[in-house]
This record gives sequence, C-alpha cells and structure tokens, in this order.
Amino acid sequence: MINSNISEISYYLPENILDNASLSNQHPEWSVEKISSKTGIYKRHIANKKETSGDLAFKAAELLFLENNIDRSVIDFLLFCTQSPDYFLPTTACLLQDRLKLPVSCGALDYNLGCSGFVYGLGLAKGLISSGQARNILLLTAETYSKYIHPLDKSNKTIFGDAAAATLITADETNSEGIGKFEYSTDGSGGEFLIVKNGAHRSRLLTGKDIFDGDAFLRNDDYLYMNGKEIFSFTAFNVPGLIERCIKKNNLAPEEIDLFVMHQANEFMLQTIRKRASIPTEKFYIHLSDCGNTVSSTIPIALFHALKEGKIKRGSKVLIAGFGVGLSCAATVLTF
Amino acid sequence: MEKAKFLSDFKEQFIDGDSITVELDTKFRQLETWDSLTGMSVIVMIQDIYKIEMSDTDIKNCNTVNDIYEFVANKI
Repeated sequence: MINSNISEISYYLPENILDNASLSNQHPEWSVEKISSKTGIYKRHIANKKETSGDLAFKAAELLFLENNIDRSVIDFLLFCTQSPDYFLPTTACLLQDRLKLPVSCGALDYNLGCSGFVYGLGLAKGLISSGQARNILLLTAETYSKYIHPLDKSNKTIFGDAAAATLITADETNSEGIGKFEYSTDGSGGEFLIVKNGAHRSRLLTGKDIFDGDAFLRNDDYLYMNGKEIFSFTAFNVPGLIERCIKKNNLAPEEIDLFVMHQANEFMLQTIRKRASIPTEKFYIHLSDCGNTVSSTIPIALFHALKEGKIKRGSKVLIAGFGVGLSCAATVLTF
Repeated sequence: MEKAKFLSDFKEQFIDGDSITVELDTKFRQLETWDSLTGMSVIVMIQDIYKIEMSDTDIKNCNTVNDIYEFVANKI
C-alpha cells in the first residue's frame, strides 16, 4: 500500500474580530466573562458580508503555497470541506481549482461535513493515495457558520468562529504510515440537534420566526440551531469510546499516544472528554481561545500550533478525533 | 448508595467545588456557579459513577440535592 503523510498545514482567519467586549455590549444581560471562562473562548474571527468559505479557503491555500514554497502544479486532487459553500452548484472546489490555478488534470470535489470534516478528509485523501489515484492532495476546510447564526443567538455567537485551513497530504513510498487507521461513527437520529432547518430542499422557504424561552432567544428555523445539552451528552458518552477503539485499531496502547488533539468544540466539553477518557493533561492539546470553534478547521489549526510549539516532534503519535454535526465522528492516529 | 459520597461527587462538578458548601438540603439552583453546563456535568457523573440515566427533565423536577440523591437511589 502507498502510505500517506501530512506534509504541511496553513490556515487563515478573516480580519473582523468579535471579542468578548463586543459581545458584552451586544448582550449586556449575558455574563460573557463567565461563559468565556467556561468555554475558553475570548475572541473569534468573522467573515465579512462579501467573504465566502471559498474566499477563506483560497487565502489559506495561497498561504500554504507561500509559507512552504510549494509548486502548485504538483497538486493532483483538491478536497473541499464546508457546510456553507459559495453556491449550491457549481462545486466550490471546481471554482477554487480555477482561482488557485491548479492543473486542469486535477480532481476536485466538495464534501459537506462539520466538526468531523478534517478527519474524514484525511480518510478520503489516504484512500485516493493508497489506490494510486493521486499523490499530492490539497485538503481545504473552510466554514462561515457566522452567516447562519441569528443576531440574538448569544450562545452560538460566543462559540463559533470563521476560518479556513489548508493541508497538504502526500504519498509516502517509505514504510511509515503517517496517516493511520480510521474509526468512524454516524448517528443521523441526532441530526436535529445541530441544524439549519430552512433554505435547502427539505424546507426551502425562509419563514422562520424568533422563538424565545422566557427572555432568552431559543431558535429561528432560518438560522443555526444547536441543542447544547444533547450535543454535550452525545460527545461525553461517545467520544471516549471512539478514542479507545481508534487506539486499538491502530494496534497501540493508550500510553503510546504522545498527544491527543480533539475537535476544539469548547473548553468545558474538552475537559469532560479528557477526564472520561483518562487522558493526562500534558498530553491533551487545547487551542481555541483566539479563534473559537472553527468547525472543520479546529483540528488542523490546533496541529499547526502544536507543531510550532514543539509539542509534536518527529515520530510523535497524535490521535485526532472530530465529532459533532450530523451526528458524525471520526478518529485516526497520525505519525509525524 | 452512600449519602456522603454522593454529596462529594455532586460538589466536584462545580467549578468552585472545593470552596463551596453544599448539603443534601441545598437548593442547588441557588448556588452561584450552578448553570446548565454544571447540570450536564452532574448527569454525566451520575451515569459514570452510579450507572443511572438521568435526563435534563429529571433534573428540572428536582429542587434540592437530596431530590437528586433520592432519584438515583431509587433506580439502583
């Protein structure tokens, strides 16, 4: 089998910043400091009205090429993960092939996933490489949940940030399995817990009404709705098992994992996973205070910083796990 | 099912669990650091340690720590 490796990662955050002071001004009754200390998020970047996920992905890719001196003509496949594409059609990845001036011999496709998206992208890339279909894959994750969030939805405004990440995955002729074996899980019965109900084809018309629970904004079907309790419950009860199965599948013992990099949902959720999965603090990497939950980009952004800080070295075994909207989960072990 | 241990397990779910006073007759919603996230933590703790499923609605029907204790004790 032809192995595959993550070669490089770059990422891009849009310029507009929503910090806690602004949130506090918009929602004076909302204890922003208390929530931030529990979510671990102090700042998020927000795409402006004209900036799409395609734009963010473009910028991340250009940064990747620039920062790593990559000759873009070697790219033979483009995978683009987003839930807020530029158009229903054509495929945003096709438009990006053109914008990035990638060879026309390149394959390109969009796929719709959120928090589990990056790990799934690695799975797809590994498949393409091991079957000899591609050798240099550009995996782009980009999300603009801000465009789905209601102005009165203070909880989701606190948690989510916009971002894009670009990851280069390359074929590796040596024996080292840079991207290991995958563990997947899907539970569509939880679909309603993180959803934008109106606008696509199940319910095309934007007829949503603001629904309140007492004074607190609860939901509007034209916008993003997240049932925090159900998502928390799902994550707390399922992710530790996913981690355990993934470690076993990769023929490893838990102690052999050098670093755990989860989807950076929020600090409270991360600590709950860490405790339930008995992961020591020093092996559990967190990075979300200045960008928030950037959905499919949280893991590559965290990996970027972990590498920069020397928390990941040559030979390090890193377990990554994405989980959330769908409900969808995926985990794998990377060897650097 | 020991009352003292349950109380201690319950207290641990609070961000300031080490410094607050919680008794069985405490109306937990009045504690300053009680919020929906603490509530979720309690539900996870009860599942982990006592192997009992308690829903958000079940917690809504409780007012004191003892109410929660009784709920769990009755299911064991």
